[in-house]
Amino acid sequence: MIEFESVAKVYDGQREALSDVNFRLAPGEMAFLTGHSGAGKSTLLRLILGLETASSGAVRVAGTDLSTLSGEKLARYRRRVGVVFQDPNLEEDLSVYDNVALPLRISGFSESEIPKRVKAALSRVDLSDQANASPRVLSGGQQQRVGIARAIVHRPALLVADEPTGNLDPELSARVMRMFTQFQQLGVTILVATHERAVVESLPFRRLVIEQGRLVSDGMGANR
Amino acid sequence: MNRWILDHTQAIHDAWKRTSDRLTQFIVLVCLLGILLAIPGWLAQIWIGMASLVPEDAVQSEAIVFLKQDLEVEARIDLERTLSEMPDTDQIIFVPRSAALEQLSKQDGLEPIADLKANNPLPDALRVKFSVQGVEARENQIIETLVADRRVLSLRYYPSTRIQYASLVEMLGFLGIGLSVLTVIGVLMAVFLVAAADVVDDRRRIELYTLLGASRRFIRRPYLYRATLLGVLAGLSACLVITFLNEVLSSALASNLKALDSRLENIPMDGRILIGVASIAVLASWVGAERAVNRRLNALH
Repeated sequence: MIEFESVAKVYDGQREALSDVNFRLAPGEMAFLTGHSGAGKSTLLRLILGLETASSGAVRVAGTDLSTLSGEKLARYRRRVGVVFQDPNLEEDLSVYDNVALPLRISGFSESEIPKRVKAALSRVDLSDQANASPRVLSGGQQQRVGIARAIVHRPALLVADEPTGNLDPELSARVMRMFTQFQQLGVTILVATHERAVVESLPFRRLVIEQGRLVSDGMGANR
Repeated sequence: MNRWILDHTQAIHDAWKRTSDRLTQFIVLVCLLGILLAIPGWLAQIWIGMASLVPEDAVQSEAIVFLKQDLEVEARIDLERTLSEMPDTDQIIFVPRSAALEQLSKQDGLEPIADLKANNPLPDALRVKFSVQGVEARENQIIETLVADRRVLSLRYYPSTRIQYASLVEMLGFLGIGLSVLTVIGVLMAVFLVAAADVVDDRRRIELYTLLGASRRFIRRPYLYRATLLGVLAGLSACLVITFLNEVLSSALASNLKALDSRLENIPMDGRILIGVASIAVLASWVGAERAVNRRLNALH
C-alpha cells in the first residue's frame, strides 16, 4: 500500500529531514511510526499526504508515485486517504454531523448517501447521540472521536494519524487505539505517528523507529 | 438537489458567515474602497462632463484663407471644391476682394479706402467654417495643408472656444488618468491585504480542507463570494459618493454652467462611469481574494 524507496527530503538545500528511508506497508497492515520530536515523523507523513515532494527517491501509495500527482489528481488522491490529527481541527461553526459529512461533501457524495455514511461513522466511534451537538460542547476525547469519524466516513483505504492520542489521557488513548485496531481488521491500512512509548508497546503491531531522519528500526511491538 | 447548487449554496453560506463574523471590518473596508474608487470615478465624471459641455457661441472654428493675387478662377474653384469635400469643413464662402474692400470701408474711419476700388490692394479670400464637431488635431492638419498650398497667400485661423477648451480638458484628462491609476492600484493593494489577512486567519481551515481532498476551486469559492459581495457594496458606495459629489459640484457651478449653455442645469452624470467604477470594484476585490487564497494554497506545498 505504502512504499518508500530511498526517500530523502532536504529543506532549503541543506537541512536534511529524511535520509535514505526505505519501507513498505502492505494493504490492511497497521504500523506505528515513532521517534523523538524533530526526528522526521511529520515530514514522512507530509510526504504520504502529498504536502511535500521527496528531494530524491520515490513515495508510492497504491502503486502511484506521488511526485507525479498535482492539482486535481492530488486532491482526488487525498480523498482516498483518511487523516487524524493530534488536534482534531474541527470546524466549530458546524455541528458534529456536518463536520463528519465534510469529506463526503468535498468528494461529491449524493445527499441521500451522506446521512447513511455519517450515521455509520458516528456509530463506530460511539457518538451517535451527539450528531447535532456543536464541537464546542464536546470533551477533548469526544472531539478526537469526531475527528476519527471524519477520517473514516468515506471508507478510505489508507488512514494516517499524527499523534492522535497526544492530548488524551491513557484511558482515552487506549480507546482510540482499539478503534484503529478495529479499522485495521476491516482492511484499512493504518500508519500512526506517535512518540508515546506506552501506546506503541501495548499493541502487537509493526514499529518503524525514526531518528534524525533515518529509519533505524523496523520490527514488531515488544508485547507481541 | 444538484451537487453543484449545494456546493455553491454552502459557499455562499460560508461567505456570509465570514462576513457577519467580521462585520465591522467589512463595513470599514466597504467605505474605504467606496471612497477610494470614488476619486477616479469623480475625476472621470468631471472630465467627461467638461468634454461634453459645448458653449453655445463660437461653436465653429473658422479660417480666412487669402488667395494669391494672380490666381486663376479655375484654380480657386478647384481649391474650394477640395476644401468642401473634406469631412471636417462645414461651409466654404468665397469673399471677392471687391466685397472685402466694401466691407472694410464701412468700418468707422475707413471710408476713404473705398476710393481704392480701381486699384484694390486686397486679395480674394475663402472663408472656411469648420464643422461643429471638429477635432483640434484634424483642424490643425487642414490649416497646415492650406499654409503649404501654392495658391494660398496667407491665412488667419480662429479656433472655436470649444477647441481651446478641449486642450484644457485633455490636459486635465491626463492628470485624472494618472491619479486614477494610482488609486486603482491602491484599491487592489488594500483588497489584497485584507483578503490575505482573512486567509491567514483561516489558515488551519484551508489546510484541513486541502488534506480532506478539496479542490482549489472548492476552497476558494467562499472567499470569492465574499470578495464579490465586498466589490458590489464598495462599487455601490463609490457610485453614491460620485453622484453626491457631482450634485455638490453642479450646484456650486450652477451659474457658470448656465452661462456656458442655457440648457444646462448641472453637469450630466455619465452612466459609463458608474458601471466602470462598480466593475473595477468587483474585479479588484475578486482578484485580490483569488491571489491571496492561491498564495496560501501554494505555500501549503
